Amino acid sequence: MLDPNILETTYEKCLKCNACVASCPVSGVTLDFGGPKHLGPELKRLVDNQQIIDDKRIEFCTLCGNCDMSCPENVHVSTLTAYAKAIHTEKSGFSFRDFVLSNAELVGKMASAFAPVTNMAMKMKPIRKMMEKMMGIPEDRQFPNYQFKNFNRVYKNKTSGSKRKVAYFVGCYATYNAPEVAGSFVKVMEYNGIEVAIPRQKCCGIPMLANGRMNRAQKNASDNIESLLAYTRRGYDVVATCTSCSLALKKEYLSINGTDEARELAAHVYDADEYLRMLKEEGELNVNLAPMKDRAGYHAPCHMRAQGMGNPAMDMLELIPEYDVQDLGAGCCGQCGTFGFKKEKYDVSMKLGRTMAESVKDLGADYTVTECGMCKNQLDQLTDKAVKHPIQILAESYERAKRAI
Amino acid sequence: MEEVLETQVVVIGGGITGAGILRDLALRGIKAILVEQGDLGHGTSTRNHGLLHSGGRYAVRDPEAAVESYHENLILKKTIPGSIEKTGGLFVKLPEDDDDYAQKWLRSCKKLGIPVEEIPVEQALREEPYLNKKAQAVFCVPDGAVDDFTLLVDVCADAVRRGAKTLTYHKVTDIVTEQERVVGVCIRDVLTGMEKEIRADIVVNAAGPWGMEIAGMAGVPLKIINNKGMLVVFSHRFNKRVINRLRMPGDGDIFVPAHDVTIFGTTGVNTENPNDFSLSRPELEHMLADGKALIPSIDDMRLIRAYSGSRPLYQTSAGRGSSGRDVTRGMALLDHHERDGMDGFITITGGKLTTFRLMAEKTVDLVCEKLGVQANCTTNVETVSGRRTGDSFNKADIAPAARHKLRNWAGVQAPKIESALKEEESSHIVCECEQVTWAEIEAAMPEKGSFRLGGIRRRTRLGMGPCQGTFCNFRAAALAAEKGRATIEEADGALLHAVSERKKGMGVVATGETARQLLLMETIYRVSLGFGEEAHQNV
Ligand SMILES: Cc1cc2nc3c(=O)[nH]c(=O)nc-3n(C[C@H](O)[C@H](O)[C@H](O)COP(=O)(O)OP(=O)(O)OC[C@H]3O[C@@H](n4cnc5c(N)ncnc54)[C@H](O)[C@@H]3O)c2cc1C
Ligand code: SF4
Ligand code: SF4
Repeated sequence: MLDPNILETTYEKCLKCNACVASCPVSGVTLDFGGPKHLGPELKRLVDNQQIIDDKRIEFCTLCGNCDMSCPENVHVSTLTAYAKAIHTEKSGFSFRDFVLSNAELVGKMASAFAPVTNMAMKMKPIRKMMEKMMGIPEDRQFPNYQFKNFNRVYKNKTSGSKRKVAYFVGCYATYNAPEVAGSFVKVMEYNGIEVAIPRQKCCGIPMLANGRMNRAQKNASDNIESLLAYTRRGYDVVATCTSCSLALKKEYLSINGTDEARELAAHVYDADEYLRMLKEEGELNVNLAPMKDRAGYHAPCHMRAQGMGNPAMDMLELIPEYDVQDLGAGCCGQCGTFGFKKEKYDVSMKLGRTMAESVKDLGADYTVTECGMCKNQLDQLTDKAVKHPIQILAESYERAKRAI
Repeated sequence: MEEVLETQVVVIGGGITGAGILRDLALRGIKAILVEQGDLGHGTSTRNHGLLHSGGRYAVRDPEAAVESYHENLILKKTIPGSIEKTGGLFVKLPEDDDDYAQKWLRSCKKLGIPVEEIPVEQALREEPYLNKKAQAVFCVPDGAVDDFTLLVDVCADAVRRGAKTLTYHKVTDIVTEQERVVGVCIRDVLTGMEKEIRADIVVNAAGPWGMEIAGMAGVPLKIINNKGMLVVFSHRFNKRVINRLRMPGDGDIFVPAHDVTIFGTTGVNTENPNDFSLSRPELEHMLADGKALIPSIDDMRLIRAYSGSRPLYQTSAGRGSSGRDVTRGMALLDHHERDGMDGFITITGGKLTTFRLMAEKTVDLVCEKLGVQANCTTNVETVSGRRTGDSFNKADIAPAARHKLRNWAGVQAPKIESALKEEESSHIVCECEQVTWAEIEAAMPEKGSFRLGGIRRRTRLGMGPCQGTFCNFRAAALAAEKGRATIEEADGALLHAVSERKKGMGVVATGETARQLLLMETIYRVSLGFGEEAHQNV
């Protein structure tokens, strides 16, 4: 049984100012959502130590974290909405579809075991029709491709011999869907004389939180904390290429796990670009980057912004000579993890994505850059431009520089 | 010519004691009018802790009061279920608390028949995570939480339904006597200034802390000491059950869960003036320091307001002749004929919220004796209609939280509110903290009389949450004006009054978030809505 009386008490501080509602991308496009203030701090207060109230509208929350960023009182709004999701899931039962979507890891393993078939199946109409019927995944929704040569099968380094040591939190997306991102990261680190180790890891838990599976998310959190601490205590820094994963390790674990260990780990976690920027500040970065004449539009994922670290991807890309990158400044993409995969949320998801799609079009760049695999999925769906991870661009620039020598 | 009303019994005081008497009289077929200078619950009856005592607190010091409380606790849970939450209560022994007292307490509870069950400390800590981890022993008792607002309103409504009358906002200005006999009261409508007289066979003084003033009007000596206690409200409910400290009753040792908040108290300071509702920061700090023993993280929690009320403590010394019929040491029923030679006049005072029904029973027994009426008390079995309405409001297009509240709140008003909710505007949430819809507000407004936010607050919980009406007070006032339920002047006046009243309660606890909330409230009212300094003068 889920204990709804979590010791997350920041809701006490809410002044009802509505800043979170104004910043919530979902509230901006639909009246069917109760909004962050009500479904976060307000509802939590009404159920604490009392009868539980289940509000179905919480399904619309994408856990993007915009509400957290806007709150002047530092209320952990999206942690509270995650709990409302957990309550809803427990009360309404868990649909098979949400099970599949919240289990990125399991699905990743299953799908990449026979990847070519899965990818085909995902594109085949009759199967998609059936998925829509049975699981409520909209027929028109594109899926990320699953790679047979998933990253786990390719890279198996468990320790690092270099002076700076990085424990890479690969995350489900780079492991199963985009091993090229993971590969680029390893390369970029090599160019900086850092050997990368891959610790034992589980899905960060964000998809589970988003689907109200609090218990599972908590379990993954404690497993990951244990495994990663074994590294940080030996001088490793934990680095992630997925901004949702880094957000989970830095912030969500403090709320859903809340132990001293969670706190200890959080202090050692970096987003990949943030890490590189730190190397630069310390004078350790290899700045031998070859010029690139591309024009790119950068889309900032919500979970990157939620980390309050400025914009490290832009900072890094701007180091590449002649590279022209502009921030799309488009807000939430609308895919929002597993949200946009759900039939009943599809319309909202598409509405949310429209601003982003429009700014991509207006900018007319060669391609789009973003850290988040789920944002990429939405970009793939709504625009005809290619989408890359910043680490891929950096890897390419380093490579060109090496070839030039 | 001034209006003259006639009845058998006049009850002075619309607190819980007066309300209980009115209902008991009505049930026994005796005509009665209750006169109250303000709204129902102007006095101590809405300024207390809201604990439905199990008797545990008094088991050692006052066994008689303990038994009475336990007995009444069982009756009220059955007869007025709509205003009581059967939370249960814990008595917690800390290392610094006297072992002897705990032993005595256990023995006494056993002897008095108050059920006590020890639970493992680990279990208590799991269920009440804020409790001090150093607790040595934890005992469960059948304490409960009373909503004193709904209790009062429902008891009065039941009396009215049975033929009784209430006159709120009417102040008793004099007691009419003829040859050593009270024959009626003079009253003044405080809103219009109109004077009236009520002729009656018997006048009952149930004016609580004001009892001395009333007795004075009849020329009867009466000494009441008002013992003022302070209480604070936490922004959310952090305990499931009542938490008491297992020691000789003292200050700051009870935490009562009340709907969405926790109420903590209390203190005791004697005061001359029954209208003294003042609040003191040092007293508050002293109380919080005491409370820290039970709930160590108390300083980290947000307080949203404080309030105070006075316990009227009857002093036997002032009477001449017999000391009256002490029901217990805490509860005094005075037959002024027997005591002072003044016929037709009765004072009932002291006691507790928990024992109001018993006080009413004893009082009305005496009234019957005087009137020569043969009728037995039935309030121990007759129920007051409840508040929970099962799965009503299914069709209403409102947030689940608002629906949940209505199902536990609407009671007999449910059909009216449900049909009002069909209109989209009525289903708008006016108070977000407590999920109050416009439909509820409208149902809580009196048919006639002026628009007052205080009365609405007590009946709906409007503005009782953490923001203390920052947003809902002006929304409610604006809607009332827009819908023709109040004139602009009335709405303005009500708003100023409500805001200054809320600010008083917030001021003394205003640190951290509550200080910022107050600032936000000030900004909205002073800057955005243009209310000036009057807010301060209107107190
Ligand atoms: C701090 C505190 C905490 C308490 N906690 C608890 C608790 O947890 N549990 C419990 O059981 N008991 C508790 N009590 C006790 C309980 O609240 C009181 O015993 C009870 O409310 C007294 O009710 P009453 O009707 O006698 O007095 P009141 O409620 O004060 O009613 C008297 C009424 O008479 C009216 N009145 C006065 N003069 C006039 C006039 N001239 N004309 C017309 N009307 C007039 C007043 O406006 C007032 O409304 C507490 C008391 C205090 C002070
Ligand atoms: S997490 Fe995002 S979608 Fe959910 S309430 Fe906050 S801002 Fe809105
Ligand atoms: S922004 Fe923060 S303080 Fe303002 S309403 Fe939202 S949660 Fe409350």
